[in-house]
Amino acid sequence: MASTLVFYFLAIVTTVGAVSVVALPNPMYCVFSLIVTFLGLAGLYLSLNAQFVAIVQIIIYASAIMMLFLFVIMLINLDKEDKKVLRIPFQKLLGIVFGLFVFLVLIIVLKDVNISVHIKGVFTPQYINQIGNTQLIGKLLLSKYLLPFQTMGVLLFVGIIGAVVLGRRKSR
Amino acid sequence: MVPLENYLFLSSILFVLGLIGVIVRRSVIVVILCIELMMNGANLAFVSYGHFLNSMDGQLIVFFVMAVAAAEAAIGLAIVVMIYRNRESTDLDEVNLLKF
Repeated sequence: MASTLVFYFLAIVTTVGAVSVVALPNPMYCVFSLIVTFLGLAGLYLSLNAQFVAIVQIIIYASAIMMLFLFVIMLINLDKEDKKVLRIPFQKLLGIVFGLFVFLVLIIVLKDVNISVHIKGVFTPQYINQIGNTQLIGKLLLSKYLLPFQTMGVLLFVGIIGAVVLGRRKSR
Repeated sequence: MVPLENYLFLSSILFVLGLIGVIVRRSVIVVILCIELMMNGANLAFVSYGHFLNSMDGQLIVFFVMAVAAAEAAIGLAIVVMIYRNRESTDLDEVNLLKF
């Protein structure tokens, strides 16, 4: 019963944060409410026995990436989205209707999901707690997922080079 | 024990809110934030499926998604700074020429 209460509390926190990301006019407040959403998601990961993912979510997502966004918002002089004419009339209404349509499709697909027909893996919570979540992730990352892990390194390297090249001021 | 359907419902709510934000908002930075929100909805679905199927693959995939999100945020924000340097504005409706 306690886990249900914790789930609903975290779900409400996460949803309120996500709604205010979409609705608030000032980008600074959007970043702060996205941080609230990420903290709620970290709590949900903890309730799903994914401790290392929860900590990484806080350290990388809610701290590092969001700090990057805050720096860019402070760096460039953002004006509020003013009341100019929209290029497409009724853009907001159409966007919300389209989103609700996608939501309807997702609900129809997900409402009769049945996981008891799938083959379950060997990593039961008892087994994971016996070895340790972090140790198991490290082992899998360097054995089964070695090639994606190295590709991830190459991707981040290319990302660094791309950011430097794009952000450089052209010398003339 | 909270059933899997609740987690999937919450993750689809997050995904759809991010989608609405991408369509409705016109500031480039808020659009990138909403893309991060969509990625987090997908991450929640991965982790909850992994937990309910006794598998670690969901948690591993979340790491790769996080790396992609970090690279995407770095490059996307560099592009935002470049657009602002050229146009003194980050309104998406004004960036429609595909050249600078």
